[in-house]
Amino acid sequence: MIAGTLPGGRRLDLVVLGCALALAALGVLFVASATTGTRFDGLAGRQAIWIAVGLGAMVAAILFDYRMLLKSAFAIYCVSLLPLVYLLAFGERIANVRSWIRFGHFQFQPAELAKIATALLVAYLFENEDDARLHASTILKLGAIVGLPVLLVFLQPDMGLALTFLPLIFVGLYFGGLPARGWVAIVIVVALLAGGGWFLLKDYQKARIGTFLNPDSDVLGSGYQVRQSKIAVGSGGFSGKGFRSGTQSQLRFLPVQHTDFILAVIAEEWGFLGVILVLGLFAGLFLRALKLAQTARDRGGVFLVLGLTGMMFFSVVVNASMMIGLLPTTGIPLPFVSYGGSSVATTFLAIGLILGVQFRRFANA
Amino acid sequence: MLRIREDRQAVVRRIEIARVAAGAVLSLLAVSYWTVQIVRGEYYFSLSENNRIRAVKITAPRGYVLDRNGAALVENEPAYMLHLYRREAKDLEASVEFIVALLGLNRDQVRSRVERGRRDPEFVPIPIAENLGIDEVAAVEARAVEHPEFAITVSQRRLYKNGGAAAHALGYLSEATPDQIKNAGNAYGVGDWIGQKGVESAYERLLAGASGERRVIVDSHGREVAEEARLEAKPGQNLFLTLDSKLQGIAEEYFRERVGSVVALDPRTGEILALVSAPTYDPNWFTRRVTAAEWSGLLENPDRPLQNRAIQNMYSPGSVIKPFLAYGALARGLVDPEWRVFCPGHAVFYGREFHCHKKGGHGLVALRDAIKMSCDVYFYNLGQKLGVDRINEILTGFGFGSPTGIDLSFEKSGLVPSEEWARTRRGARWYPSETISVAIGQGPLLVTTMQLARAYAALVEGGRLPTPHLFLSSQDPKTGAQLRYKAEYHQGPTLSPENLKIVEGGMWAVVNEPGGTAYGSRVTGGIEMGGKTGTAQVVGHDSTVRAGADKSKLETHAWFAGFAPIQDPKLVVVVFVENGGHGNLAAAPLAKALFEAHFGIVPEAPPAPAIQAAAPSGGGIARASRREAP
Repeated sequence: MIAGTLPGGRRLDLVVLGCALALAALGVLFVASATTGTRFDGLAGRQAIWIAVGLGAMVAAILFDYRMLLKSAFAIYCVSLLPLVYLLAFGERIANVRSWIRFGHFQFQPAELAKIATALLVAYLFENEDDARLHASTILKLGAIVGLPVLLVFLQPDMGLALTFLPLIFVGLYFGGLPARGWVAIVIVVALLAGGGWFLLKDYQKARIGTFLNPDSDVLGSGYQVRQSKIAVGSGGFSGKGFRSGTQSQLRFLPVQHTDFILAVIAEEWGFLGVILVLGLFAGLFLRALKLAQTARDRGGVFLVLGLTGMMFFSVVVNASMMIGLLPTTGIPLPFVSYGGSSVATTFLAIGLILGVQFRRFANA
Repeated sequence: MLRIREDRQAVVRRIEIARVAAGAVLSLLAVSYWTVQIVRGEYYFSLSENNRIRAVKITAPRGYVLDRNGAALVENEPAYMLHLYRREAKDLEASVEFIVALLGLNRDQVRSRVERGRRDPEFVPIPIAENLGIDEVAAVEARAVEHPEFAITVSQRRLYKNGGAAAHALGYLSEATPDQIKNAGNAYGVGDWIGQKGVESAYERLLAGASGERRVIVDSHGREVAEEARLEAKPGQNLFLTLDSKLQGIAEEYFRERVGSVVALDPRTGEILALVSAPTYDPNWFTRRVTAAEWSGLLENPDRPLQNRAIQNMYSPGSVIKPFLAYGALARGLVDPEWRVFCPGHAVFYGREFHCHKKGGHGLVALRDAIKMSCDVYFYNLGQKLGVDRINEILTGFGFGSPTGIDLSFEKSGLVPSEEWARTRRGARWYPSETISVAIGQGPLLVTTMQLARAYAALVEGGRLPTPHLFLSSQDPKTGAQLRYKAEYHQGPTLSPENLKIVEGGMWAVVNEPGGTAYGSRVTGGIEMGGKTGTAQVVGHDSTVRAGADKSKLETHAWFAGFAPIQDPKLVVVVFVENGGHGNLAAAPLAKALFEAHFGIVPEAPPAPAIQAAAPSGGGIARASRREAP
């Protein structure tokens, strides 16, 4: 398809593309299941529109040479942060956070685009910092590049979205070659900062931070969401209760079931088989993308693929763990599958960048 | 360059490790899901089957509405509804056929409801029929074993026990509109009932109570299995109205075939004992969901049954306004009781001829006889002496031109003209000849029945205007705690007792002296009433209406305002019959009946000969209307 129209007869990686499309299709299907007959009725159609928008962005990203993007990464990064600053200053609160910009009927989260821009700048950083030894200055630059958008998003306050930037630091440190003692030092510093800071806080401040980070925690009593989502997942059993027959989801026991908890709906209605299908598609996507990173033509391409893949991987693991109570609920959606226009569209944009790197893997392209 | 190559190899190696790690993490996740779904799957499945807790709102029982003697006017009754649970149905088509045959329902309607319900998840019950009778409920319950798919649910429905009686005082319930939901700040949701008009609306907060909540455990079909916790609803207060069902019933009966309104109130407190607006409507329609035909029937009825004529419609008062002007002229020293006017049956003012209702004239009349016989020529002269601005001052003092403050919404103010009003509001200067019309209650002067009742109360209470009200007391159905209405007054100008006596003497004569305009409706048997008739011309404000309207709409409006006992009035009655003809014939007899019923008087037989009542009387009919004035 797209490959056929491109010069040189080189082929796009169909594994990555196929997994992404299959996951998006599953998303539309289960958003429909979770919302039909509720006040969210009709969101599946909107999701399909956003997927189409994302596919358009993906094609553009494939056709556009990522090297050009890397060269102007700093400018792109700066421009992408502007709306975040604007939101903090003038943003309208939607669902208690200032993270959306409205266009008529549609809302967009500029932070999703900022994620891609930040990944670009990190890749550009490591393209130039190519010594075998990882310098302290590089680590500081990496921290600053990722830290700024994290801070802006954290202030919105969208804790979950802010967290999804953090894998970029890990990607930089690990693939940049941080030695073992470096890891030890980082763990110690983080532990001291977190612990010390916690002890300095007064009780009411801790409680305030608790509700600040997770304003919904007390609405229905603590643990309600996790408990209901665990019941949904567990009761799905091996093969599930059948499409649109999940009693937990259809009786609206699941919170935000079409966004963050969509995997619980799949797990309830399609059972363990459905979970394996989803996890399998993600595994195919990630393992293949990492393989593509190895074949990239330059260091910038390698780190671009690694950064984008790392962020996606992080979201998938955190989201899937949330469903069964392995991690606290943080409001991180499942890429491709959860309802959310900005998330779906930018995830496809990321896929486009990964495929673009793959597509130009030969030095003469 | 060499260094970079080495680095590239290192990166490739790290990626290889990352692939293994990623695969391991995802595998671990899969194992975790295996544990939850397969190893502990049975456990969670049983939880999902049996352990579903939902919050269900308990609607507070709405307070009853009772009359002053405790007779129930509005209650709640159980309403039965039939639901179909699709999951229980083996053969949906057969189920539909079964219920259609059992209850004689409309097959197409049932089918379309089932069809609509199919879009919902399977366990959501489909509503099949509302308002089942007890026998129908029994028929369904008797076949519950063969047809478990059908279930009956019970809810409370408002019941207006006397249908359309006092409908305008009571109001009705309907589902809350989006605006009302917004204004109530989440106290109401979609599908909740809320009072519209009448005391149902005015005392909504008292009547509605506060809803409670149950946390119930539902099974996999969404059906309730057990109750976990319960916060009881706070039932609404029972509302005792000032209405007296006996008087209300007599007045309703009188207006069965007539159009108009009645107000009976206690002049000492403002308590309304009867409030009728005819034609009426049945508030039960709204609670049973009005059909399109019923609704358009209500809206298109030219007599507008939904309007409360006693407070929302404004009319020319005709001669019932005369006592106020007589008092005002006496109090201002413009006339004395001995001042006489010769009535030849007509008189000329400002180059125009005005007629008295009595063609032959009343001869020489003084104030008392002018009221008794309702002599228009006398009041033309009196009005000329007063002038429109003094008339405005007098009538405003008796509360005309402003709402009475009754505890019902949509009350109109009426209109008391003045020179300034003509200049600023009407935009055409006041003609002196209009004053002559106003002096007999015609022209631009407009009043409501309620305003007249309050003004007559003030007349017999020395100028103190009681605020009319329907709220007598409320009672908490659980604790019995009572809340009583504290009478409110508006102090008008203090009236001089001597001048009042003179005017009251005239009103006594209206009813109790031969030749009085309402002699035919006098009350006998120990109690005497005073009053005044009125016959208001349907002024041709718009001659096209006159040309197009059917003839019955051109008939004069009949008024009667009375009070009794005359020495110490305890009841004021104002009767208005739209296009009823003459006040003495169409309106006064009902007032008589109400006084007799209220004071327990058995009418003396035989009744007054009809011939005495037949003499045209009541209101001045100014032949020339305002339009024809120069």
